[in-house]
Amino acid sequence: MKFLNKIIYFFYREYKLNLSGIQDILTNIIFFFVSIFIFIFSIGPDKETISLIGVGIVWTLLLLSSTLSLRKFYQEDFENGNLLVMHLNGFSYGFIAILKTLSNMIFVQIPFLLSIPIACILLNISNEKLIYVFTSFTLGSLILSCLGSISSSMNLMNQRNYLLGSVIVMIFSVPIIIFSVGIINLEESFNSLVNILFGILLIVFAINPWASGLCLKLSLENN
Amino acid sequence: MIIVKDLSVERQDKKIFENINLSLVPGNIAILKGKNGSGKTTLLKALLNIIEPSVGSIYWKGKLLKKNLYDFYNHVTFIADTTSSLKKLTIKDNINIWKRFFMSNINNTQIETALKTLKLDNYLDKKVGTLSFGEIKKLEFLRLIIENKKVWILDEPLSNLDDDTIELMKQTFEDHCAKEGSIIFSSHQNPGIYVSEEIHL
Repeated sequence: MKFLNKIIYFFYREYKLNLSGIQDILTNIIFFFVSIFIFIFSIGPDKETISLIGVGIVWTLLLLSSTLSLRKFYQEDFENGNLLVMHLNGFSYGFIAILKTLSNMIFVQIPFLLSIPIACILLNISNEKLIYVFTSFTLGSLILSCLGSISSSMNLMNQRNYLLGSVIVMIFSVPIIIFSVGIINLEESFNSLVNILFGILLIVFAINPWASGLCLKLSLENN
Repeated sequence: MIIVKDLSVERQDKKIFENINLSLVPGNIAILKGKNGSGKTTLLKALLNIIEPSVGSIYWKGKLLKKNLYDFYNHVTFIADTTSSLKKLTIKDNINIWKRFFMSNINNTQIETALKTLKLDNYLDKKVGTLSFGEIKKLEFLRLIIENKKVWILDEPLSNLDDDTIELMKQTFEDHCAKEGSIIFSSHQNPGIYVSEEIHL
């Protein structure tokens, strides 16, 4: 019960932190929408073309926006010693990674999911496809959170070079984008593609605590 | 009770320190002294099992620390040379988060008294990021009181503090020891309090 309470108050802490830094989340969302507008203006008024490549645009921008939030993952808690405080209060490194990933899903990815219907209207994606877009983005954003956790924990060991973290996220996101866009464009293969995406999610979710936890341990050792 | 036997730490084939011995019973204070870069923080991290020692062993309550780690962590508070308070939040928010996260049994009156003693009671609604370094450090000491644990491991607790706060800290150390608590802290200055163990690095 005591441990469960600690988990609840970990999320309370994350909620307070994200609320105080709500401008960061809003900046990410504004970046997302401004970029959509830039794409629309650069393509021109052809609705058919926009509709055809709209899903790809939204996915690319989701990816770029999530790399913007990578710094929020561990860096602050690492620098101010809170990772160590959490560890000394009973959270293993792997468990910290799981909690931080869930926190990223809740406080960073969900605001994006909520803005996707508006993006679909702007990009002329039909209402029938909205359910497919939503499914692919829900699974995809969870995978991106896990990948973000791994790459930002690796960054702690790498003299805080954030370019490397972004590159890792982008490379590993390629298969996710392929299957996610496939879900929307190949409606007949919906179930099989969702299963593949769900499989990838389970793999990265299983690897994340192990890989991120090890990186956190090594970075605290060498700090 | 903490016992350290022949502890040595090497990093990247370089000896940081070797053959450190320490015995700390409840009610006692140990100090680690040394110049900058002599390995004081590394030794504190080794005591917390964050760094793996190359030789030697650490015991907590008669058992190897590694085998009794959960119990040790339940009894220890570590204050690093960084400040763990969240700069974007107010002092009040930080206290609320600490109280809940550490499952503190300290009541609000005790916290208010501590805030008054530390002269932080007028800044409760101020964001930590706007406070001076000394005030942030004082807030960090409040965590010691909120966590309310027996063993305090502190990295350079007396640096960057004014004379009044240093006196206050010394009094707090003595009060903690009187309640069967124990303290290990690093310092490159003479603290002017009775210490049972002094380790030079």
